[in-house]
Amino acid sequence: MSTIPQHDLYQMLSAANDHGERVVVATVAHTRGSTPQRRGAKMLFFQNGKVAGTVGGGCIEAEVWADAREAMQTGKSELKHFSLTADEASEEGMVCGGTMDIFIEVIG
Amino acid sequence: MDETRVQPPSQDLSKVICELLETGTVAVLVTVVAGTANIGAKLLIDEAGNTSGSLGEVELDSLVAAHVKHFTKTREQTRTFSVNEFAPESTSNNVRLLFERIAPAPRLVVCGAGHVGAALAKLGSFLGYQTSLIDDRADFLTRERFPETSIELIVARSWLESVRDVVGSGKGIAVAVVTRGHAQDEECMRAVVAVQPDYIGLIGSKRRTTIVIDRLRQAGASEEQLANIHAPIGLDIGAVSPEEVALAIIAEIVAERYGSPGSSLSSWRRAERA
Repeated sequence: MSTIPQHDLYQMLSAANDHGERVVVATVAHTRGSTPQRRGAKMLFFQNGKVAGTVGGGCIEAEVWADAREAMQTGKSELKHFSLTADEASEEGMVCGGTMDIFIEVIG
Repeated sequence: MDETRVQPPSQDLSKVICELLETGTVAVLVTVVAGTANIGAKLLIDEAGNTSGSLGEVELDSLVAAHVKHFTKTREQTRTFSVNEFAPESTSNNVRLLFERIAPAPRLVVCGAGHVGAALAKLGSFLGYQTSLIDDRADFLTRERFPETSIELIVARSWLESVRDVVGSGKGIAVAVVTRGHAQDEECMRAVVAVQPDYIGLIGSKRRTTIVIDRLRQAGASEEQLANIHAPIGLDIGAVSPEEVALAIIAEIVAERYGSPGSSLSSWRRAERA
């Protein structure tokens, strides 16, 4: 999955809002060291289970996915810290080793 | 205005953002991400200083609006700040904010559909640039040559007029002048040099580009305008083939967009050893 052009992204949010549908948006807010996605990258989680965009593949996506699912239930937005230490990264077979702050935001 | 402003629900901003993007307006979206109960509150500030939304406190909104001006001057796309980094005396100084640049998809205008121009239009389109390709030879601008519908093909009756129409205000636009001859190059350069797009590059040797720049100077272009021209165009990657030259050009355009020097990421290793 590639990054979403800004206009497409905000159109999706706007459309979901029109339908009264809740969306969880994960945004890479801060990075340090080697990370799998740049700052500003976004991933959208919709109520029907659909997703769009990416915050960085295997390294952390599973964790972000779980956090997003929880936020979808609780309605609580939160800044989450992810540490991709060399050990964890090599276990995952990924070439990252930095830290990322990802803002998990509930809209609607 | 600040005192009476009604705070719309944060999700309403997505419509406003769509409108800004459609009109080619650049803005900064600021979101509270930590340090207060007000997480998710948003303030959108466009390049003219118009605001939508609120971070929840009038004082914080105006401090942030002032800091947005500094952020806009850097070419950073996304960054988090603690309020104490720019307003240590504020009562909100523990609040953490996410700044995101809102900007239309970058545009690339390629003047000249010869070998370099054709390769450059294809590369630009591949990289997500909304690309316009201009030439005065209609048979060079066919859909057989350019099946990519994302490349707009423009047959120029007059280079000056066509380029001027496409470049408009120059905002968010990179212009590469790669026509078949310096008479045409000069006409294109006359059309763009005064509007100051984000990037202007001119193909040719040092000598040939100097001739064009001298002629622009004689025609009244200021030194400041001339200093922004990348001529000869492109990064020095030893490009030989037209495709390689196109790569050198698009790499320079990307580097310029992000304010990067365009050097090797590994150069520090060799510097350390020396």
